[in-house]
Order: sequence, then C-alpha cells, then structure tokens
Amino acid sequence: MFIHSDFPEDLESPPEYFTTWLTPVDSFFVRQHLPRPKVQPTTHSISIGGMVTNKLALSIADLKKLPQYTVPATLECAGNGRGNFRPRIPGLQWTKGAIGNAEWRGPRVKDVLAKAAVTYGATYVDFDGADIGVGKTPDFIRSIPLRKAMHEATLLALDMNGQPLPELHGGPVRLIVPGWDGASWVKWVSTIQVSAQPHEGFYMKTAYKYPKYAVGPGGAAKPEDMEVIEGMAVKSFFAKPSGETKHKLGTPVSLAGVAWGGENRITRVEVSVDAGATWQNAAVSKQDFPFAWRLWNFDFKPTRPGYYTLCCRATDSAGRTQPIEAQWNPSGYLYNAIERIAVLVEA
Amino acid sequence: MAALAADPAVLEKGRAEEKRCVGCHGIRIIHTQRLNRATWDRELTKMVGWGAVIKERDALLEYLVANYGDDKPVPAPARSGDGR
Repeated sequence: MFIHSDFPEDLESPPEYFTTWLTPVDSFFVRQHLPRPKVQPTTHSISIGGMVTNKLALSIADLKKLPQYTVPATLECAGNGRGNFRPRIPGLQWTKGAIGNAEWRGPRVKDVLAKAAVTYGATYVDFDGADIGVGKTPDFIRSIPLRKAMHEATLLALDMNGQPLPELHGGPVRLIVPGWDGASWVKWVSTIQVSAQPHEGFYMKTAYKYPKYAVGPGGAAKPEDMEVIEGMAVKSFFAKPSGETKHKLGTPVSLAGVAWGGENRITRVEVSVDAGATWQNAAVSKQDFPFAWRLWNFDFKPTRPGYYTLCCRATDSAGRTQPIEAQWNPSGYLYNAIERIAVLVEA
Repeated sequence: MAALAADPAVLEKGRAEEKRCVGCHGIRIIHTQRLNRATWDRELTKMVGWGAVIKERDALLEYLVANYGDDKPVPAPARSGDGR
C-alpha cells in the first residue's frame, strides 16, 4: 500500500489491486482523520437519542438480532485524486487508489431508527464514532439527511467481504452510505442523534463542502456559496497498465479498470487510444448494481509502432460523464478528470 | 527574504521545529505535501488553531518551503513493508 500518513495510517491501494470486483480487505485503502480508538466489540454500545421516542443503547449483539442485509458498495474518499490538482492543495495527496469495493453486511439504519421511533419534524441523523480529537482538533461527527438514513441500502455494517469488520476499517460497526463519499461512512459508530438540522461541528460546517459556482484554479469561494457534498462524481480509471509502459507490436495491450457513478449505474465506459480524439466502447463486467463499481476491459491492438496516449471515460445513468479537467476547488475534492496513460509500442 | 531562505542555520532550526508536529500525527503527512509558500503559511496557522505549539515559525516555514515547496518533485510513493 502507498503510505500517505504513518500515524494515524492513511494508505492508498496501488493500481494493480483494481482488477477484481471485490477489493480484498487487506488491500483496501485506509483513511483515518484521528487516532484509531480501541473498541471492545463485546462491551461496545451505540447510544441513540435526540428526536426519538425511545432513547436506546444497542450492543453489537442487539444489532445482530435485527434482520441482516448485504449491500455491495464502492467506498471512495472525497479527496481521492487530490494529488492531481494544480495549483496544489494541502491534504492527503491521493493519486487514484483511495477507493475500494466490498460487500457490507449488517442491519439497516432504518430498522434501528424504527426501534427508537423517530419523532415528527426530524430531518437529519448525526453519527459520531468512538475516535476523539487530538489537541484541539474537532471530533469527527457527520450528519446525513433522514431520507438517506432511511434508504434500504444504508446499513450499520458489522461484516466486510464475509468477515467481521476489522478495526482498521471501522470495526466492530461502521455506517455504510452507498453512493456517497467516504466522509459519511462514519467508523466505530458510538452515538446516533436524530435532529432537525445538520450537526454544527467542523466536519459538517467547514469540511467536505464544494463550491456551488466554479472558482477556477487557486480561486476562493464565499462560505455561503459552499454546499455539503452528497453523492459521488462519475469516474473511471486504469488498473492496468499504469503510467508509461512498453509493448511489442503484434501482441494486444490488455487494458482494464473500474468505473462508478455514486447512486447512478454506469451505462458506458469508453476508451480512446488517440488522446481523446476518438472513442470506442469498452466491455463492462456483468455486475450491474447501483452503488458498486463495474470492471471494464479493452484489448488495444495497434497496427503501427509509436507512442500512444490512452484514456478511459465513464458515463452514468443520469447522463453524467467525465471532464477533461477536474474542477479545481479549495479542498481538492471530487477529482474525476479523464485519466491519461501512455504506451510505447515497439516493432 | 532570499538570504533568510538560503541560510542553512535557519533550515536546521526549522527541521528541529518540525519535531513538535509529531505529537499529533506522523511526519509523513507533512513530507508528502508539495505546497507554495502562502499555502504552507496558512497550514501553519490552521495547525496552531488546532493546538500545535510553534516557537520558531519563520524558520519552520523556510524549512518547509525549501524541502516541500510546490516546485519540488513528487516523491516516489512509499510502500508499506508487508508486501501489500
């Protein structure tokens, strides 16, 4: 894994791990804002309060008694690709591997909220994890709209790819918000508060916001023109080859990668072998779920030697597609520009 | 300012100052940045707001710009040693 931070760990998956539909747990990227808390699964309790009739404390055993659901969903850090923006933006300098796809299993948040009986007028649910700020850094608390919390795919995951959720990935319990960026997927969930407005803390008021109107490279936006990020950008990239590689004329160059569109399905992945002048459809994998990426592949069969610039581009069911240049924004979120790699074909 | 930037004694003072940062997080998250001077300056302000105690701020800024400015090449990614 590429190490962006050693304490707490922030680890990026190298491109070669993106050739399988499910990302193995031990190759899955890791993002931690704050030092990892020590959580005892046997004694851990989630307290549920705020605008509810029944204030509750649920153990992991209590969560396991609720109906369990498995949802395949792609998890991407909102800052994935930040390292590509110019001018450069402070923060984790992810290239493209702050993403993975897994099968998450656990009870639905809506079933947990049903036990608490949400009262009339509630519109948001706040999630707080067991991690705490260091020094004067703010605690990581995030809110999602009630309508998203009530979605049948929004889970409190206890398992990841068929095994108990590891501590590194938020175990024993993390929030899964399919089709939305990782900022909402709160790890080590310890408190759930139902409310009528988003949480007032740093991680809702300041962080994870995107300019309503494009500001241009190095530009600034007024606070009132910043919006909370919901959903995900449409995006694709190459798993292989990567960077610049050499190939012999006569053998096909096998291209492969992943494509995703947040809450939208991927309807098309295209490849260009002439730096974007012309495009052809790539083959897309049979797995066609909302919220989970699709694998794509394409055999490039050059008939002449030379230096070729290859691109891939995804289109989703809402008609969104990728731009040539990603929209610069002060925090470096949602980078989704068309990726370019190069192959040198030699006779 | 240019004379201050080039002074090895200042850079050494800045490098020593950097040790204060690892009370909250590892050193690598600093060394993977490549930022211009104004952005490094804003980052120091943000860190102080979050509890960092900085005594030699000018020297620290010079050290960061000299080593991790946005004109410096991007490092080859450090790889975890467990074969992943």
